[in-house]
Amino acid sequence: MRNSLRASKETFHPLFWWLWALTLLVILLVSESTLISISISIGAVALVLLKHSNTYWYQSFRWSLRLAALAFTLRMAIGVIIGVPMPGQVLFTIPSITLPDLFVGVRLGGDVTSQRLSTAFDEAILLVALILIFAAASALSNPHELLRVLPRKYYGIGLATVIASSVAPQSARSIERVRAARRLRGESSTGIASFRKVGVPVLEESLERSIDLAASLESRGYGYFPNPSRYRPHSWRLRETVALSSPIYALLSLLLLPSISSALLAGLLLIAVIAPGFIS
Amino acid sequence: MITFSGVSLIYPNAQRTIVEDISFTVNEGELLLLIGHTGAGKSSLLKLINGLIPHHTGGILTGEISVDGRSTRALKPGELADVVGIVGQNPINGFVSDIVEDEIAFGLESLGIAPEIMRKRVEEVLDLLALAPLRRRNVSELSGGEQQRVAIAAALVTNPKVLLLDEPTSALDPIAAEEVLSILHRLVHDLGLTVILAEHRLERVIGFVDRIILIHGDGSVDLGPARQILSNSPIAPPLVELAKKLELGEIPLSIREFRKMAPEINQAPVQAIAKINGDALFTINSVSASYDQEQRKNALHNVNIQINGGEIVALMGRNGAGKTTLLKCAVGQAPLIRGEIRVKKRDPKSFTDKELIRFVGYIPQDAGDLLYGQSIKQECELADLDNGVEPGTTLAIYKELMKIPSLNSHPRDISEGQRLGLALSIILSAQPALVILDEPTRGLDYEAKKVLIKNLKEIASNLNRAVLISTHDVELVAEVADRVIFLADGEVIADGSSREVLKASPAFAPQVSKALPNNSWLSLSDVERYLSEKN
Repeated sequence: MRNSLRASKETFHPLFWWLWALTLLVILLVSESTLISISISIGAVALVLLKHSNTYWYQSFRWSLRLAALAFTLRMAIGVIIGVPMPGQVLFTIPSITLPDLFVGVRLGGDVTSQRLSTAFDEAILLVALILIFAAASALSNPHELLRVLPRKYYGIGLATVIASSVAPQSARSIERVRAARRLRGESSTGIASFRKVGVPVLEESLERSIDLAASLESRGYGYFPNPSRYRPHSWRLRETVALSSPIYALLSLLLLPSISSALLAGLLLIAVIAPGFIS
Repeated sequence: MITFSGVSLIYPNAQRTIVEDISFTVNEGELLLLIGHTGAGKSSLLKLINGLIPHHTGGILTGEISVDGRSTRALKPGELADVVGIVGQNPINGFVSDIVEDEIAFGLESLGIAPEIMRKRVEEVLDLLALAPLRRRNVSELSGGEQQRVAIAAALVTNPKVLLLDEPTSALDPIAAEEVLSILHRLVHDLGLTVILAEHRLERVIGFVDRIILIHGDGSVDLGPARQILSNSPIAPPLVELAKKLELGEIPLSIREFRKMAPEINQAPVQAIAKINGDALFTINSVSASYDQEQRKNALHNVNIQINGGEIVALMGRNGAGKTTLLKCAVGQAPLIRGEIRVKKRDPKSFTDKELIRFVGYIPQDAGDLLYGQSIKQECELADLDNGVEPGTTLAIYKELMKIPSLNSHPRDISEGQRLGLALSIILSAQPALVILDEPTRGLDYEAKKVLIKNLKEIASNLNRAVLISTHDVELVAEVADRVIFLADGEVIADGSSREVLKASPAFAPQVSKALPNNSWLSLSDVERYLSEKN
């Protein structure tokens, strides 16, 4: 047989990346370690770069990077400006505003101590790691492929998942087009004012696309017949298990060995996260 | 095969019924064409047949529709999937897989067909639509014609008895359109498939169809043999208009029929109208450019073009020949590899955003991208602000372009023709020297096209602007363009008067010139001029 009826060898099982993301998410939340957040962030970016492809799911990744950078900046700014006073060496002072008594203990501005800065950084990098994990999962998997592996009994759930996970990457492409068109009307698209002007047509378009996709699924009988068959079955093979087992192993060691050094774990995780990039 | 009895459809909150108390029967193995003005309800009628209306889109339906003995009222579209296949206006939006082969197999998977049979069906359909070489390709990398073929294959794979197509050729160049239509023709003849297609460009499909459904837009429809419907229809292809103008008394459906019934008309050659009066507005000197920054694939090789004021130039060529890239050169959005581009002696990359609109007015393929207002009125006011002109300027232009403007509608809700008119008004109020339109007639009916043609001619001759249009629509080119530039694989292969260029290629010749090959006429307006001079 010229080509066997199996899914293409380069792609992992459609559910793999979401399980992978879920495991890393739990690790992040359980460990609360900045080192681990950093290593997962670096790992996720390296992994996506290693597995580059031409699909627009992949191409949406640079928008996710921008989102992560934005989240980082905002969280840092808020962390530095608002909060309760913290001890530590005073690095610099920003003008402070006295708040009404209602907000006792909270202050705006004032002394910025080293501890304030490091707490803000810890929280910001956690946010970045969360964004990057999901960005990597959606860049590396094809949302439409999820449709084929989700049980068709749950037609509505499948459809909602697919639309939700495909809107963002497809909109990234629309944004570029609409921004180019904006320039043709003589305005540069920067700043918050332009958000509505770009956002409105992009959202309308993604709504239209989602309706078209749903209509197409519906007219092709998706979810209506009791026993759907598979043309090119996605099989869960050894490499999926191997690639998923290392983060799960990291999670287990985190839960069972509370004394494990987070530096060691962070190093191991970095390797575990990048590893699927070399499996093909 | 399909029976409508006493069917009425109205959308909630709509003022007008789409169809009212219509009854007709479509037989097995028929190829039926659905015509009507934009917004008359062609797509709605198609969606009624497979139950997407009312089950998916909504709408209030009375009466009974049955397909192959099954009622669409009782069954959802999914339950009719084995009988009816549908291909929407934008096939890419309906794709559920990345790979061609998987996309085609999807319908079979849903129906639960056994893998061995599925394999065979997929192979058959791949062969039927000549898609075998593309089986492993990513659907988003395919050309418009190829995507259309994939969508048809995906609909056909389940062996439906009825195939519904919504404007299958509107995005295609004449050759790709011909390809798709001849495949449909073969399916009807070989497999006894019943095909219903909605289409604006009648000249492309009229030779293939058995009967026509004309939707009037007031709720009534007419169904009859093509000849009968076309003799009274306000919508007719240029060939039929030509026969009517020449008072032949009969309605020809193909060029061959026309030639048999047409009298010999000898006419003095039309003198070429020299109208290069303006200066060079837009010049391209040995330009090579790529599609985008990342892919270093060349879209244009060593292209030289000069366009002058007062000229209307059509840019033609297959999908992917580099037309859009060439247009983008004028607004500095094309990744240039080498060469020099000048608009009014300035490099478009050096324009600031505010300057750009005074030099070049560009309407992209989806004119809606330019719009973001909540109503036409608001859109015009925003344009006045953007363009820095007197309040009311844009609205005045819009009122002049569109004779019966509806000012409070949302720009997404108006017809394609009105939206294009609105985009054109916005662009024109900045008074650019060069007006560029990318594929403007997609989804336009004959009436809207006439309005566009009139407007473009006025822009060029009265205002002495240059107009550059990229299009697949040969009939539009024949009516409006002075000059045609033909691109193939990123190179200019022809650049001359539309008469020379269009007549030289049979695939790109307009109907009037095919019907009367010994004349130098290209379009109906040439014939009209001749007839009025004769009398």
